[in-house]
Amino acid sequence: MPALRNKNCNYISNKEIKITFDGKSYSAYEGDTIASALLRNNIRLIGRSFKYHRPRGIYTCGIEEPNALVQILNEHNEPNTRATVKRAYEGININSQNRWPSLSFDIGSINNILSPIFSAGFYYKTFMGPKGFWKKIYEPLIRRTAGLGKPPKNFRSKSIHQNHNVDILIVGGGLSGLIAARKLINTDNEVLIVEQDSFLGGILKNSNKIKKIDGKNVFEWIQETEKLILKSKNIKILKNTLVTTYNFTNHLIALEDKYVGKNIDINKSELTLHKIRTTQTILANGHIERFISFRNNDLPGVMLASSFEKYIERYGVVPDEKPVIFTNNSSTISLVKSLINLNCKPCAYIDSRKKKDIEDETKEYLSKNNIPFYPESEVEGCEGNKKVEKVYIRNINNKILSISASMLCPSGGFNPDIHLFTQSKGLVKWDDKIISFKPDTAFQKTITLGSVSGNYEFKNLCNEINKKLSFLKANDLNIDIETNIRDDFSINELWETKTDKMSKWSKSFIDLHNDVTTKDLKQAINEGYDRIEHLKRYTTNSMGTDQGKISSINSLGIVSKILNKKIAEVGTTTYRPPYAPLSFAAIAGRSTYEYYDPERKTPIHNWHIKNNAVFEDVGQWKRPWYFKKNDSETMHQAVQRESKQTRQTAGILDGSTLGKIEIKGKDALEFMNLIYTNAFTKMKPMTSRYALMLGEDGMIMDDGIICKINDKHFIATTTSSGAPKVLSHMEEFLQTEWPHLQVYLNSITEQFTTFNISGPKAREIISKVFTDIDFSNEKFPFMTFKSFNYKNTQARIMRASFTGELGYEIYISPKHALHLWEQIFHYGKEFNLVPYGTETMHLLRAEKGYVVISQETDGTVTPLDLNFNWMIGKKKKDFIGKRSLTRSDTAREDRKQLVGIVPIDKSQFIEEGQHVLERENLPSKIKTPIEYLGHISSSYHSPNLNHCISMAMIKSGNKLKGKKLFVSTPKGTKNIAVEIVSPVFIDPENKRLVS
Amino acid sequence: MTKILSTDFVTVVQKDYLQVLVRGNGTDQFNQIINKEISINPPLKNLEIKSDDKHIFAKNSFDQWSLLYLVEEDYKKILKFIENLNLNDEILASDYSYGQVYFEITGKNKNEFLNKLTNFDLRSKKFPVSTMAQTLIARIDCSIYNLGSKYVITCNKSFEDYFQKRLKDSANLS
Amino acid sequence: MILIHCPYCGEREQSEFTNGGEAHVIRPKNPEALSDKEWGQYVFYRSNPKGIFHERWVHTHGCKKWFNAVRDTSTDTILKIYKLTDNRPEISEFKSPLKSPSGEPAVGSGNFAVKK
Repeated sequence: MPALRNKNCNYISNKEIKITFDGKSYSAYEGDTIASALLRNNIRLIGRSFKYHRPRGIYTCGIEEPNALVQILNEHNEPNTRATVKRAYEGININSQNRWPSLSFDIGSINNILSPIFSAGFYYKTFMGPKGFWKKIYEPLIRRTAGLGKPPKNFRSKSIHQNHNVDILIVGGGLSGLIAARKLINTDNEVLIVEQDSFLGGILKNSNKIKKIDGKNVFEWIQETEKLILKSKNIKILKNTLVTTYNFTNHLIALEDKYVGKNIDINKSELTLHKIRTTQTILANGHIERFISFRNNDLPGVMLASSFEKYIERYGVVPDEKPVIFTNNSSTISLVKSLINLNCKPCAYIDSRKKKDIEDETKEYLSKNNIPFYPESEVEGCEGNKKVEKVYIRNINNKILSISASMLCPSGGFNPDIHLFTQSKGLVKWDDKIISFKPDTAFQKTITLGSVSGNYEFKNLCNEINKKLSFLKANDLNIDIETNIRDDFSINELWETKTDKMSKWSKSFIDLHNDVTTKDLKQAINEGYDRIEHLKRYTTNSMGTDQGKISSINSLGIVSKILNKKIAEVGTTTYRPPYAPLSFAAIAGRSTYEYYDPERKTPIHNWHIKNNAVFEDVGQWKRPWYFKKNDSETMHQAVQRESKQTRQTAGILDGSTLGKIEIKGKDALEFMNLIYTNAFTKMKPMTSRYALMLGEDGMIMDDGIICKINDKHFIATTTSSGAPKVLSHMEEFLQTEWPHLQVYLNSITEQFTTFNISGPKAREIISKVFTDIDFSNEKFPFMTFKSFNYKNTQARIMRASFTGELGYEIYISPKHALHLWEQIFHYGKEFNLVPYGTETMHLLRAEKGYVVISQETDGTVTPLDLNFNWMIGKKKKDFIGKRSLTRSDTAREDRKQLVGIVPIDKSQFIEEGQHVLERENLPSKIKTPIEYLGHISSSYHSPNLNHCISMAMIKSGNKLKGKKLFVSTPKGTKNIAVEIVSPVFIDPENKRLVS
Repeated sequence: MTKILSTDFVTVVQKDYLQVLVRGNGTDQFNQIINKEISINPPLKNLEIKSDDKHIFAKNSFDQWSLLYLVEEDYKKILKFIENLNLNDEILASDYSYGQVYFEITGKNKNEFLNKLTNFDLRSKKFPVSTMAQTLIARIDCSIYNLGSKYVITCNKSFEDYFQKRLKDSANLS
Repeated sequence: MILIHCPYCGEREQSEFTNGGEAHVIRPKNPEALSDKEWGQYVFYRSNPKGIFHERWVHTHGCKKWFNAVRDTSTDTILKIYKLTDNRPEISEFKSPLKSPSGEPAVGSGNFAVKK
């Protein structure tokens, strides 16, 4: 028989839906959560617990739920979904979690009997030695049993981010939030209200506590308020959205579920992560009910009293018609009234407060309705087979009575939901009246209203709001709230009840999420973990997804009793964001897969695609790595072909990604002399020079070619990935150290497309393309450049080379770039001009002994280490990094220096990154560290020499030329015998270069 | 002109504008030099835009100006203008014309739409009409010009494909 | 993600900026005249106080201009933003919430949540 329905509930439709739980079909109503749907079908066993695999049911009716976590099979196997939050819909397919082979018979529950092993600190105690056990046994075991659900399958989330900038953010659309909003209607403030439920109203819809507001019934009042807000021009509402994070400078993160109550559509975004920047935050996010620890307080059938009431009022389902109610405070009587309204009757009302402290109204109401009443009593424990069957009451005379019941509703009072407030770095303070922490000093522009501020009394609410929001200069409101229960809140302190019966199975829990018992707390303190932060980590209490929502204050209460201290002295642990779990997909937003990193393409990109380029990422740039001649050609074959062809006739590289910086001003020369190592003063206009840039520590930062137009105007190139760094380095010194220099810098990287053509036939080809220019060696020598007009745009050609061959760099407007590139191929065809990519570029420069910044260098290499002494303007008084080159450490002769390396047996290949050693063999078991001289920084098979060539940075390399050494291999103990040589393998006389 | 996307709430059109980036000290002499070459006065206030039917002239920062040509102008004339400016030692003018791409965003939800891609505060009280800003949009460096009825956004041309895709993606997933 | 007020562009999120370390460290006029130790001091050593700190920022993804800020490193509060041409504000201008060099500020550090 289905559970009793509350037909007066306004929030559940009459439309029936079918859901599946653990393979069986059930009916529910549209608007139900999974939890309310299951309760409607009298299903109380929902899952197994984390550590002991104990049977668990639905404990709460909201985000704080520790037990009822389920897997949604039809949503790509989405795990750890809170059944108390997730809305059911037609066809939803749900599985319980953490059980095998079935929910009611779970083998893992043997852990409960083995519980001494799993007590406080078990991770630290159990998984010690012997050596090797961690990797082979413990870790795989923990990984298999840790967590609850199984990971989702094949799902690409399309969740998006939405930024907001507002004046006021109201967190929570409950009673306080709505009153604050009514005050702000049609003011100058842009306001955003964020509500986690799909209906506004908070406590008004979740409980029976308030009868009327301004004479209207609460549902009417909520509707009226919502209409007023929607009509206003300045207030927006976000529903189904939970604020999870409160960052610095009033930046809050909220997660919106856009598919509440329906199956997700894989083509749309199912989640939106709202990033809200506000001037003022109003926290009206309410409170969370606490439990009381007693024996087997985790049995299915134990449910917090106000959650029980919420199922009746908000979801229209009565989980049980005769529950036992156990309270230590005045609020619980409203649950009794809810039940009586539906002709149901609790089978006992147990109040731990002194008889005289219990309100007369409560006593009268209970006796009028013939409800068995136990004042000054407590629940000793409960028992049953996978559900509550018997409840044991310790009455006023310390006698244990047993009664039969199938549900038990404890209420241990309420905690203001201070998570967001403490995340904002505000300070909380203990309040003896409500027996909880409440917000005290705000660190940011934060205001708390209603129960989150510790105000549980409705008659004061309007005053509180008027007072706290008076600075906004909005009109004062006067709202009349009529309650169903006594408005003044009374509570006595009770964290754990005295236990009588002991059995191996019985446990009294403090953290149901992580299966921490009150015994664990006591044990941890006995073992010396008496500081709350240590205790938390040692026992795992209030860690993980709970973040102390229902376990934190209770554990403080118990610990304070053991330590005989006040709770305020014990202090509280830090509440960390997120307040509730956020999926990684939501955090990542669209920054995944194709949008993981922005992509930059050159104007020739589509040509490269058409010509079968395989691309490589260089910073954000997509650069051709090599061009596949046909499908069967391997990378090695392609690179060997491209390299050979370039040295035989000509090759061309798309060098558009090179950074280009225009430098101009009357002090440009002085600036260049300071920022680069080279001397530019005597350099002739319209010539260019290879230049080095150092950090102030003397280490190489970047290199490039500098074109000098005149003393007041230069153009510098940088490496492709170094461009932004170099520009900001230049800007930094101009702005901060040398503001007296009149120099302006513009990045012109994208304004000029760059082609590098090189090879013995380069001149012939390019002469046919640019017929007006004299490319002869006399008129256009190495390291000079010419500017000219090309189809009404400015163009520049520089004679330079990164391959060691005769070469030209062409700088052209992107407007004409592709056309020119095709022209060059048109004229280059007869010479077998070959396009080549970055891999061939690297190979060709290695043959010539040119270094690549960040391949040969790694931030610890000076120009002296590369034998670049000739590039240092020694006569210059100063440049960035100059002084560091004569520091005792950088002047050492035994620093790692650049050398060339070739294998003695020319058929062998040396791998990049391998060590250079003096020993021919490595021992099979390495017991003591083996001294190594350095590492291989570049290594290629040279098609032009037909053997392996390598570059390496090794200790005292300059003195080792001609020596025989060894290089390790990725496998085996035998090293490769090598000879140390000059790093220039081809054309050391530069004949090709200047021909 | 290429239509990138159009919905009931937002429309994005790509335009072929031309652009000059000018660096200088902003003194009277600087203004005179500019004024000699072009009728429109350089804006004096930081982030301010001066615009007419043909130009957007914006002050990006205290020593940097962007001049956008909204209608097809003789490119030769623009290059001549740059050459003339560069005759002055205290000015650096660089042609940005074909290295940038330009998008016009219109529609009643243009703020909400762009706020999927940037956290920049587009509210008129923080970003008034006839001002510009340099900020991150879709995680790349962009300039955004507020012309009241529309925004003009520019970024480096190398990001063109990526930026177009992000704009369309945001519209599709809203 | 803190909000930083660029003196030229206005308030922007931290992601647009790069921190440049301690401010007012002046590059020596004549590096050659310095001993290794003195030069090393300039290149490698910076102060890192808990509390009030003068530091440099650059608006990397905006106007690319450098400026200075006074920040309380114990609470991450930016107390003042000033241009490179402005004078260095004295520490005495600011109230530090720190009671002792090793102490915690009463509010804002996040290490302690409970009011004493």
